[in-house]
Amino acid sequence: MELRYGLNDLKRNKAVNIALATVLLLSAFLMATGAMVIERAVSSVDQLLSQARPPHFLQMHAGDYDVAALERFAAAQPDVEAWQVHEMVGFAGAEISWQRPGTDQGGDLSASLIDNLFVTQNRDFDLLLAEDGTAASPETGEVDVPVAYQRQFGLEEGDQLTVRTDDGARTLTVRGFVRDSQMASSMSSATRFVVSDQDFARLTAGGGGDPEVIVEYRLTDESMAAGFQRAYEAEEALPKNGQAVTYTMIRVINTFSHGLVAVALAMVSGVLILIALLNLRFVIRGAIEDDVRQIGAMKAMGIASKDIAGLYLGKYRVMALAACLAGGAVAVGATAVLTRGLAADFARAEITPLTVIAPVAALAAVYLVVMTTIRGILRRINRIDVVTALVHGSTLTARQAARRARRQRRAAHRTDLANFRRGSLNTRLTWLGLRAEGRQWSLIPLVFFLSTIVITVPTNMLSTFESPRFVTYMGAPEADLRADLQFGDDLDQSRTELLSAMREDPRLTDVRSYANVVYETPGEDARGDAGWDSLRVEVGDYSGGTVEFSKGGAPEEGQIALSALNAGALGVGPGDSIRVRQGTEDAAATEVEVSGIYQDVTSGGYTAKMQGNIESGANSYVVYGSTGADAGDAAAVAAEYNARYDGVEMKPMRDYVQQTLAYVTDAFRTAAIVALVFGVGLAALITVLFLQLRLSRDRQKMGILFALGFSLREVGTQVLLKTVLAVGLGTLAGVAVANAAGEAGVGAVLSLSGMGLTELTFLTNPAVVYVLYPLGMVAAGCAGAAVLLAGLRRQDKSTWLKEA
Amino acid sequence: MKPVTTPTSRAVLSARGIRKTFHATEPPAQVLDGIDLTIGHGEFVAVMGASGSGKSTLLYTISGMDRPTAGQVSVDGHELAGLDDTRMSALRLTTMGFVFQHPYFLANLDIHDNVLLPALKAAKTREQKEEAKARAARLLERFEIGHIGSHGITEVSGGQLQRASLCRALTTEPVILFADEPTGALNSSMTAEVMDALTQAHRGGTTLVMVTHDPACAARADRVLYLKDGSIVDEWKAGPWEADTTGDREAELLSWLRDLGF
Repeated sequence: MELRYGLNDLKRNKAVNIALATVLLLSAFLMATGAMVIERAVSSVDQLLSQARPPHFLQMHAGDYDVAALERFAAAQPDVEAWQVHEMVGFAGAEISWQRPGTDQGGDLSASLIDNLFVTQNRDFDLLLAEDGTAASPETGEVDVPVAYQRQFGLEEGDQLTVRTDDGARTLTVRGFVRDSQMASSMSSATRFVVSDQDFARLTAGGGGDPEVIVEYRLTDESMAAGFQRAYEAEEALPKNGQAVTYTMIRVINTFSHGLVAVALAMVSGVLILIALLNLRFVIRGAIEDDVRQIGAMKAMGIASKDIAGLYLGKYRVMALAACLAGGAVAVGATAVLTRGLAADFARAEITPLTVIAPVAALAAVYLVVMTTIRGILRRINRIDVVTALVHGSTLTARQAARRARRQRRAAHRTDLANFRRGSLNTRLTWLGLRAEGRQWSLIPLVFFLSTIVITVPTNMLSTFESPRFVTYMGAPEADLRADLQFGDDLDQSRTELLSAMREDPRLTDVRSYANVVYETPGEDARGDAGWDSLRVEVGDYSGGTVEFSKGGAPEEGQIALSALNAGALGVGPGDSIRVRQGTEDAAATEVEVSGIYQDVTSGGYTAKMQGNIESGANSYVVYGSTGADAGDAAAVAAEYNARYDGVEMKPMRDYVQQTLAYVTDAFRTAAIVALVFGVGLAALITVLFLQLRLSRDRQKMGILFALGFSLREVGTQVLLKTVLAVGLGTLAGVAVANAAGEAGVGAVLSLSGMGLTELTFLTNPAVVYVLYPLGMVAAGCAGAAVLLAGLRRQDKSTWLKEA
Repeated sequence: MKPVTTPTSRAVLSARGIRKTFHATEPPAQVLDGIDLTIGHGEFVAVMGASGSGKSTLLYTISGMDRPTAGQVSVDGHELAGLDDTRMSALRLTTMGFVFQHPYFLANLDIHDNVLLPALKAAKTREQKEEAKARAARLLERFEIGHIGSHGITEVSGGQLQRASLCRALTTEPVILFADEPTGALNSSMTAEVMDALTQAHRGGTTLVMVTHDPACAARADRVLYLKDGSIVDEWKAGPWEADTTGDREAELLSWLRDLGF
């Protein structure tokens, strides 16, 4: 009987049921996709980590180091399973070119800002994997290129890769592409090329490259990594001129870029479920009101409320189940598309029980939430009074009915149509109608409020991360050009030449140079006496106030500004002092006051700034300059300087931001597009669903107005006007909340992600989020209303009165 | 041969070959089957027939609420087929009035504002608005419901509501008034109340077309049309109700209806 009732209802309210099923399906689809993408990303990364066996702790280092000290340290540590010093030689992208034999296709790798490190394959751990999951082992004359470059530059097997050394060009044939557990993530600031021992020796001997090492340790228990790191850093004789990374960080960073999309999907899905529940409440309450006499009759016959509720429940149970099954099925396809990059970047994840359990659990959660809500709404049937239902056709109890009558009376007495002066009669009626039916219309502003947040927040995040002003979150001043000096024989000389050229260049203004120097400071857990942590400090002139500080201000002489993550790790704030030293002599340590805290997402978020001028001996330099108002000049200037100076990588700031943050912006772009499509589509769909039900209840009223001499256009305009007002109200509230509270919410999520941002101010594109999107939402609402209103034209208007 | 109904005075409404088919049913239902009808100025015409004979459909088709499948309707010299939505609604506003079986009102307006609404819609100037308000007040007084003007629609009786409905139909001083079973939902005392009001309106010069099941109500009409299966099969002419002093008008009508199988 339940099934028959459900089928009849499906036929009777086809459009409403289809719309409702669609909303449920979308909710289930997004939730399942989010769960599957997260599971796939984690499995894929884990698979890569199990194949490649990355170190549990690694320390990068540039410069000389004491091998004996490393051996002593390793021997003294009982947790070390294996260790190695992995040698690398880095070349700037501009020094590496490629050519496809027999064609004129080719170019260089200067478009990539990350370090290009040539290495040989390791023997036991930290393996660089070929596409089949085995360790890549190129022959002499061959090279295995990072998979990221395969995509970025369209490289193919058989291409010729030429590295320009001081001794001349070395040409290698691309044998294949490698996946790198340490540097697979697009967040990594370096990437590795695998060559044979002979070629590595030639490249190193050829000169022009920048030698670096990674000291790597495999531990018996990966959970010991943090303690091991402290022990390593406490040892003065060990090499520390570079970043230190633990296994956990490698894992988190690898998962993060894909995880962002999954988290965004899950968030959109959460909002969708909320919208679906609001809709269900609206539709089911409407159905109960429509069927109240039948419900009254069934109750009069002695059928229990529970059994009557069962008639409705059966239909929604089937609908929710079908939506979850279909949503899950579509999610499989969507996940395959969204995780296509995973297999290339990481490894083909094996199917495990969790692969099935994750989406099934997500779908079960959707189903349970939906069904629990429906049961709650159907409890209304218990309260229906038989006599009121049969005689008055009302679901209200006597008290509720009296309250409603009083409310209507009060509203009617306040209308005073006779004395209205301003505006048209239609507008006046619309307003009065909306005032009287406010509760029934509340669904629309609510849905548009939520949908607007769904479409606005990801777009705001995208525009924030894409904005040239985002450099202020990267601890850098706002400028049009950024030149990096990292590689080359004589960095100091290169810097001097570049700086004087830029200062003399009439096209450039506000030229500033900063030096990256590694200091050391006592670690949080071993303050004062135990270990010293390396502290990457950018030394330069901060007096112009171009860097934004979230707390405190720019450093002056004898002061230091810390990145938010560093300040947190050291447990200090503005006004506190820390000890820093350059080199390993305790005596050289000086006390500096923390002047301020800024946000930084570069170098893992752990940086610092000091006022000063260092012209020699720095690890690297960065020079900023501005070209004035015309940003188009920046690219031309950068190209000119890059051609003129070896070892200089100059970029327009916009390009630098885009490339450095590509991992986040790509994720946000996907999230923003998905959210936009779903948000706008859903808003239009709900408008249609709502108006379909609303119009069927308002037919009598429309029929009266039509009979009284209001044209169909006027009757339609009243509906449209109500829709626009309801949609506009929801959209405005959504825009306000998305831009205010959204900022705080996203800031909180980002600060938890450990990216180096603790608070976030959206750098919005006002034309998009304040004009285009709201207009798009209102247009979606109007389009939904227009579709339904067009259908009214064909109907016999007398039926509106008869069916009421 | 179907009778072509003719008025006793200048025609206000004429319909030729009216057909109406509803395609929503399977098979499509032909509810009106080629009706010809003329209604004269100041006439009171009642339409009777069994349920499903097409009475209400005829009323809504000749009043322009619904479009006929075929045929032409002219009201006060305007061919309805040639009017677009805007001009059609303007004609309904200024020329026609409606009273329904259920006195449909806008629940969020009080009685006075409901009555005033069409007149307010028709008024273009402030003077016209003031005149509309005065007219609405006069009508409410004339039909003895002036005291309930500020009441909500749930605070008055069915008879009062139906009289208010008549006031609303008359505020625009329509040429023709269409009433679809105006007493169908009322008890006998309220029926008399409403019929007196309608008769009073007719006496005031308004042309009246009324669909009814009630012979006592139909007996007040100048003419009664009888519909069967979508066609007018006969008509009963009796002249003005006020002029009838014989007292056997209703009995005559009943006898005529019985002959038609009513």
